[in-house]
Order: sequence, then structure tokens, then C-alpha cells
Amino acid sequence: MADVRPLNIPVILGTTRKGRMSAHAASFVAAELAKRDGVVTELIDIAHLPLPVDDAGEGIKDPAFSAKMNQADALVIVSPEYNHSFPGLLKHVLDSCLKEYIHKAAGIVGVSAGPFGGTRGIQNFVPVLRELGLVPLFWDVNFGNVNKVFDESGQLLDQGFVRRTDKFMKELIWMAKTLRYGRQNFPLD
Amino acid sequence: MSKDTPKMICPKCRVEMNHHAEKLVDPVNPKEAAQVDPALGGLIEEMHCCPGCGTTESRRTR
Repeated sequence: MADVRPLNIPVILGTTRKGRMSAHAASFVAAELAKRDGVVTELIDIAHLPLPVDDAGEGIKDPAFSAKMNQADALVIVSPEYNHSFPGLLKHVLDSCLKEYIHKAAGIVGVSAGPFGGTRGIQNFVPVLRELGLVPLFWDVNFGNVNKVFDESGQLLDQGFVRRTDKFMKELIWMAKTLRYGRQNFPLD
Repeated sequence: MSKDTPKMICPKCRVEMNHHAEKLVDPVNPKEAAQVDPALGGLIEEMHCCPGCGTTESRRTR
């Protein structure tokens, strides 16, 4: 059964650090995603979300972020690797919702200044996504040595990432379509 | 979900939603702790999705 609504796939920029190179990666991925027919996207910068840090979990749910997660069919999460893990504030944000994520695909874009492209952070991140009810892809995009991948203005210097991102997005869109159909049509019982 | 349990209705489209998932969640306050299913060790949250607009809603069950 065809669904006429476009897939809604926001890109979450998962760091608030000043000078973050992940912003270039997130902008690039969002621009590539926006080129796809039947997909709408937007860049959500967690630095702009009004979440307090004197509480946690669904008690601090931001209505606007919750609505965006509810409307999403899948997520792309851009996460730098900090001390072999993902940013704590990214988890703080994600923990503020639950029902909004269930049975939705999540693609991870890892970013690092070193050569491994955030892979160690992603290894720690996948179990969190699973517990939130998201369905992680088996494709990632890994921006290792990110200072050589983008210039200071955010211009992509390594065109190989266009093809890598294309593979990632094909899988993401397949998962988003399939899971949307399942959420809307296949009952649990 | 029991067959006697009423279907959730989409607040936007007013159509029956599809119950597609259940998640075991931990209690976060004494009131919820008193409702924990001892066999499961937590509370069940049902997830429902609108077949029309994709809106997601949830509710707790025992």
C-alpha cells in the first residue's frame, strides 16, 4: 500500500561544543537527504533545545522536540566521539522522549578528529538507541580525520563521502518505509 | 492488549490506531512502583500508531 506522505527524516546534530566540526557533517548529510525524492528533512541542533540540566528523562520533554520526533519516520544522528563515547548532552536530549521513537530507523553518522570516524562512540551508542526503541541501521557514515574532510567553511574536500552517504541513505529510506508500514498496519497481536 | 480494551483513537484523524509495540518500562515514582507487574519486573507501555497520519501515542497497561 503506497503512502502518499513524504518520509520525514530529521538530522540531529548531537553536540553543543564550540567549534564543532560535526556541524559541517550534519549540514552535508541534511543537504544530501534533502535531494531525495519523497523525503523531507530538517537539521535539529541540540544546542538550541531548551532542556534543563537539573532534571532528566521524560520529565523535561520539550513539546516542540517531542512533536518533531513524533512526526519523524526515521532519524539521522550525527555524533562526534568524545573520550571514546558519544556526547552526554546528546543522551540527555534523546532520553527526554520514548513513545516518539518506537519502531523507527536510526542512522548514525560518526565524526572524529582521529582516524576512526567515531566508531568507538557508535559502539557505545547503539545499545542506547535499542533501549529507546529505535532500530539502528547496519550502515554508518564515518567522518574520520574530519579536519581533512571539510574545510573551515564546511566545504566537502573528499568527494568519496557522497557515495558512502548515498549507500547509507538507501538503507535508511528502505528501513524508514518498511517500519512506517509496519507501525501503521501490522498489529502486535 | 486484551480484546476488551478499547482501541486508541488518533487525536488528529479520529481513526483507530494500530497497536504495534509494547515496552517494559521502569517505575519512576512510588505510585508507579505499586503497579509493577511482578512477573515482568516493570510496567507495560503500549505504543500505538495512526495508519492515516503516523501520529504515535502510548498508554500504560497492567
